[in-house]
Amino acid sequence: MAVNWAQVLFNSAVTGSIYLLGAVGLSITYGLSGFPNFAHAELITLGAFIGYFVAEQLGLGLPAALIVAFLVTGGVGFLCYRGIFQPLAKRGATIIHLMVASIALGFILRHSIGAVWSWKPLYFTTAWSAFDVGPVRVTGLWLWLIFVAVTLAFIMHLILTRTKIGKAIRATSSNPELALASGINIDRVIWITWFVGGGLAAIAGIFRASDTQIWPMTGWDIILPIFAVVILGGIGNYYGAVVAAFVIGLAENVGVVVLVALGLSSTYRIGIAFVILIITLIVKPQGLAMLFRRA
Amino acid sequence: MLLYGLDFLVFVGIFGIVALSLNLEFGFAGIANFGKVAFFLIGAYTYALLSKIGIPFFLCLIAGALTSALFGLLISLPALRLRTDYLAIAILAFGEILRLIVKSESWIAGGDWGISVAPAISTAGASHHVGILVNIGLVYFCLLICFVIAQLLANSPYGRVVRAIREDEIAAEALGKDRAKYKAQILMIGSAMVGVAGGLYAEYLRYVLPSMFMPMITFTVWIMVLLGGPGNNWGALLGAGLVEFFKYGTNLAKDYLNLPVDPINLQYILFGVLIILVLFYQPQGLLKESPIKTKALELARYGKGVVNNKPGK
Repeated sequence: MAVNWAQVLFNSAVTGSIYLLGAVGLSITYGLSGFPNFAHAELITLGAFIGYFVAEQLGLGLPAALIVAFLVTGGVGFLCYRGIFQPLAKRGATIIHLMVASIALGFILRHSIGAVWSWKPLYFTTAWSAFDVGPVRVTGLWLWLIFVAVTLAFIMHLILTRTKIGKAIRATSSNPELALASGINIDRVIWITWFVGGGLAAIAGIFRASDTQIWPMTGWDIILPIFAVVILGGIGNYYGAVVAAFVIGLAENVGVVVLVALGLSSTYRIGIAFVILIITLIVKPQGLAMLFRRA
Repeated sequence: MLLYGLDFLVFVGIFGIVALSLNLEFGFAGIANFGKVAFFLIGAYTYALLSKIGIPFFLCLIAGALTSALFGLLISLPALRLRTDYLAIAILAFGEILRLIVKSESWIAGGDWGISVAPAISTAGASHHVGILVNIGLVYFCLLICFVIAQLLANSPYGRVVRAIREDEIAAEALGKDRAKYKAQILMIGSAMVGVAGGLYAEYLRYVLPSMFMPMITFTVWIMVLLGGPGNNWGALLGAGLVEFFKYGTNLAKDYLNLPVDPINLQYILFGVLIILVLFYQPQGLLKESPIKTKALELARYGKGVVNNKPGK
């Protein structure tokens, strides 16, 4: 069977864009707050449902859904940190306690979503027409997704390098004590990253849900590759996460081709991310961060 | 109603074993095992597959324990050199992948549909109650063995080394204790216990399905240990009892109350709230960590006879 490699590459860009949006927030908050927020999966889900509510139940369309979901989920992300993780850390909770708390929070969010919207899979009704560009079949949704992901990645880059708050974020993540001594309000920096991270997760959720289905496990379904992106990119490293998202996207799509050629089930695509995750942890736990030491 | 109570007792027993094993790993050794369900699954599937080809139940249980321990050892080889948070992510991912494998490879054990499991001791002809009572006997026998092992470990010189590693890895290594080796052993013992619990679970429910082994199981066991008191084996049992009681209570309430919220959702929301409250206000759990009991300590505290050592004399 001939493989359409152009299509594989394009699909990798689509997958990578979702992982990028989903992983950046987790990576930066993990780096700044020092623990992996397992409830990040539920922020993705929550964003998807808010997007669904705005776009489908209120009928306001995709752009409005993206903006509202960004703001609301960002707010929820901020409140989670401000209301639960920060006070817990101040009481001297260990990293294990913080991880357990984040899993607990994930359950609260997931089942609250399940109580409001039920566990039945829902679908975005907007029909996206598919058309061919050369040998590649694309849909409007995928083009939107890549456009939004690349634009946001570029905006994040500008913020991190050109603005005061961006520089404060980088300063805090490389050396919190020194940042504090330089008069940076670290708490505020961390709050902002939780807000932005939640917002980006929401956008990832909306696109993922539009492409597949939406149910309370939407975020949990992709949490494994997202963790793989965070680890491969180096925890807290923005540029590492950008590169890693597309590396994992590519590995998954090429991996599916290989799996099919070997006659294995393509549900193992998630196993590819797992293998990359484990190998990175064992061989080079700092991930791709060494490529971007100055970032 | 009686049936319901007996059913409850079986579940307390099975999850008591799982809680004891997590307590060994987290409470005593400080290992953040977020993939308990993986080893539970291994025990259950080993039991189911072996009992299908006619192997007696106690051998199936032992085989489940050994297989699970083997996987515990295998995962500990790379994983225990990792930082706490990396280990947590890696082991959680391991559980998810394992469930994926038994789900998509239907030749192993029926894939999504699972396979049925024969009862350990045939009680054909007797009433359903007798069947459950037999299970209670079996489960509590295993629980007793696990509890004795856990208590002996906790109070032995071995257990003191493990606790020392939890408190300060570097200091323990400076005293010549190989932390990776001790942690690998604890992970093996813990996994063996969960393997037994998994086998009992499969045997009691009479079937295994991939959807029985969601990450929720791991999380429930974490609540049991954190609520009861990490580092205290009685606490693990108390936690298992309380959490199962709460589960059965809400399931009962569902039949009598007309709630606007789906009780399953409500149950997990309340679990989440409960665990966060425990972490905020009672992070050491309901029962404090049991003090170490040794002859040497008694001797140091009281001398040979209590009289000789009274203060001021």
